[in-house]
Amino acid sequence: MMLRVANAYHKTQSILACRTRCVSSTPTSGPAKSFPKEHELLPSSQSPIISTLKFFNSVTVDGSQIPTYRVLDSAGQPIEGGSIPEEIDESMARRMYENMVQLPIIDNLMYNVQRQGKLAFYMTHYGEEATLIGSAAALANDDEVLGQYRELGVLMWRGFTLADMMNSSFGNCEDPCSRGKQMPMHFGSRKHHFHMISSPLATQIPQAAGVAFALRRDPHRRGKNCAVVYFGEGAASEGDFHAGMLFASTLPSPTLFLARNNGFAISTPANEQYYGDGIAARGPGYGMHTVRVDGNDVLAVYNAVKEARRLCIAEGRGVLVEAMTYRVGHHSTSDDSFAYRPRQEVEDRKRLDNPLARFRSFLEARGWWSAEEDDALKARVKDEVLREFRKAEALPKPEVRELFEQVYGGEEPWILKEQREELGMLLKKYGDAWEPWKTELKKHKGAGKELMDPKP
Amino acid sequence: MSNSTTAEVHSAGGHLPSIATSSFLRTTRHSALRMPGIHWTDEQETGSTDTLIAGRETRKMNMYQAVRDALSNALMRDDTAVVFGEDVAFGGVFRCTMGLAEEFGRERVFNTPLSEQGIAGFGIGIAAMGHTAIAEIQFADYIFPAFDQVCRTETVCLRVSTIGAQIVNEAAKYRYRSYGQFHAGSLTIRCPSMAVGHGAHYHSQSPEGFFMGAAGIKIVIPRSPTQAKGLLLASIRDPNPVIFMEPKILYRSAVEQVPVDDYQLPLSRAETLVRGSDLTVLSWGTPIYHCETAMHMLASPPGALSPHVPSMLRGAKVELIDLRTILPWDVQTVVESVNRTGRLIVVHEAGRVGGVGAEIGAEIQKRCFLKLNAPVKLITGWDMPVPMQFEKFYMPDPLRILDGIIETLTY
Repeated sequence: MMLRVANAYHKTQSILACRTRCVSSTPTSGPAKSFPKEHELLPSSQSPIISTLKFFNSVTVDGSQIPTYRVLDSAGQPIEGGSIPEEIDESMARRMYENMVQLPIIDNLMYNVQRQGKLAFYMTHYGEEATLIGSAAALANDDEVLGQYRELGVLMWRGFTLADMMNSSFGNCEDPCSRGKQMPMHFGSRKHHFHMISSPLATQIPQAAGVAFALRRDPHRRGKNCAVVYFGEGAASEGDFHAGMLFASTLPSPTLFLARNNGFAISTPANEQYYGDGIAARGPGYGMHTVRVDGNDVLAVYNAVKEARRLCIAEGRGVLVEAMTYRVGHHSTSDDSFAYRPRQEVEDRKRLDNPLARFRSFLEARGWWSAEEDDALKARVKDEVLREFRKAEALPKPEVRELFEQVYGGEEPWILKEQREELGMLLKKYGDAWEPWKTELKKHKGAGKELMDPKP
Repeated sequence: MSNSTTAEVHSAGGHLPSIATSSFLRTTRHSALRMPGIHWTDEQETGSTDTLIAGRETRKMNMYQAVRDALSNALMRDDTAVVFGEDVAFGGVFRCTMGLAEEFGRERVFNTPLSEQGIAGFGIGIAAMGHTAIAEIQFADYIFPAFDQVCRTETVCLRVSTIGAQIVNEAAKYRYRSYGQFHAGSLTIRCPSMAVGHGAHYHSQSPEGFFMGAAGIKIVIPRSPTQAKGLLLASIRDPNPVIFMEPKILYRSAVEQVPVDDYQLPLSRAETLVRGSDLTVLSWGTPIYHCETAMHMLASPPGALSPHVPSMLRGAKVELIDLRTILPWDVQTVVESVNRTGRLIVVHEAGRVGGVGAEIGAEIQKRCFLKLNAPVKLITGWDMPVPMQFEKFYMPDPLRILDGIIETLTY
């Protein structure tokens, strides 16, 4: 009413009145700093006063785009002035590469089995391997990560195993994430400081600011950890992106915003997503340190995220990193991306700028990697992926009773208790007679017996 | 945010003289300390009521003071607790956070930018780390940016909802979707709700019905200062996200003796305020007082209404229940009552279609079918936005409740 409207009105009035006064009485000569004091009194800005009417349309001084930070060229050689981080020694570099290589092998298998109907859903990481592993390696393993859904590489870098990954994708009785409650690819692990993925886009962004705020208030973690939030350039169009950036900068919370700008939100190309200079250009508007980085260059991502993390924790505020990459794969298994982009474009991107090939050239040039090792690694990972896949596939789904659990903490509401009993009674009555249930019950651990004959 | 503006909002309390004089308000120390279900949080052992209340003090408070007192207790007992929202640092537009920033510091009691989805999401993040987050949404009418405005379901793609899915899609499902690994249980969202006499569309709403289907959250609505303090402290400490809706017209108009010590009242327990055997009236928040007035009018109708109240009904014994927790609601108390009285009226300010009354009516019809002597009657706001100049004709006021009681008793 009343409250909000009245106040907003008053604020607007006073700002407008002041601006009008300032402008109309502004002399036409002299730089801002030489102005008499009364002209410097803008109520909500430190802005200098000028007498030349000038519109701005970019955060950069000359209107050009924010530059992209790169260390390695597309042949894997350091570009002029590009610095290789000191801690990237042979073992670290090999570990990063091995983690990157693992992703497309997992993706290939999972994508294909989804096509065969063995898996409900899958989303690949093709083309974003460097962004995921470069950033994961630059973080502390106990920084709190909130992801969107294309960040499996970050979780696996922290020790989430192939077995965990497969069990979660199948939602079987060993699923460590949601115990078969969410769609595949919705990972989460308290142990690995990786918060639960959920489908609604960008909701994790203001949550990350809250997580970071709590970290800052925790005497054991203050100055040591930050919250890291991953999201695509499409998700950055949500109101929650605005809220998260605003809260992390205003309330100071050490939140590292990591935008994966891969050019597409399903079918929508980035140029239909925004009119400005990508996501990075928005950072300064929130008063945030911002960098744009070549997301296909694992060392550039590593350097940028490492420094972003340092700044984020040192200053206790939000920092924005925009990693420029390309979504080589389809959006998901429910999407055929050649319906909205030419196959040739994708093939060209894969050939011209492949993050894996780029880093491999770097390793080989240093004598840290060889073709034989590459073949052996790929064969080993493929074997392991297949082995874990078969194990997970063979495990039954969780007990049916788990359907009713963890809706509430504490005392169970009567409605859930009654509904569990109702389903148990129906299963007992029709479990054999109704084919859809009969088939499905066999897939669950315990075949629903715990609901049909509950222990008193 | 001037105080004079704030004061205007509350002047409408004068339209409801029955609140100030209600027999439900606990005006003595003794009655306040003996509230049914009261749990003193500093008492571990079980003793007799006398020993439990010996030495305990009460203070006269209105509802905003009781809310403030609860927040102070919560901040004092729990170092992780923080209070935040729009304009809470200077004391809040309804004064519920007066002096808290000075007492506990700006790091624990602070203003947020003006973004409801941000407030909800930020609070969920704090709660996900196990800290206690007490968020304020300035009016329940503005909770919707934090709700889930659009549900755009495409074929198995990951864009199920678009705008601020924080409460329904996030807070409510946090525990379930992670099999208990993560939860937002230490989040409480407070918001002023219900009509205030002149609040029109966006300062009058009772959105509790919208949250009825959001399994995973709790919804709590107090009717008075003692209730507000005890239920709010229970909500803050409940292991689930709670939306706590404070009927804003009661902030100043309801005054009680409120225990100074830290205490809780149980969630998901209704309270029977008047025992009766002929009809059950169920309500929550502000309309509780309209029900009380209607019951008085039934027993001794004012002159002009007298011809409308059959003399045979004037001795009817009406049972009045305050539901207090809307989700998950106390079905047991209501069923027990309706099985005794055979008649039920549900009164709420929100519109009827898809409202809480419809849910309760269906459940009672199922459970008390053979005992019902009349249809379950819903006395609610009409199905439209709350109108500015027509509020008197929109609200379920004492007369509409009286008429409903007569109709149900004579069915």
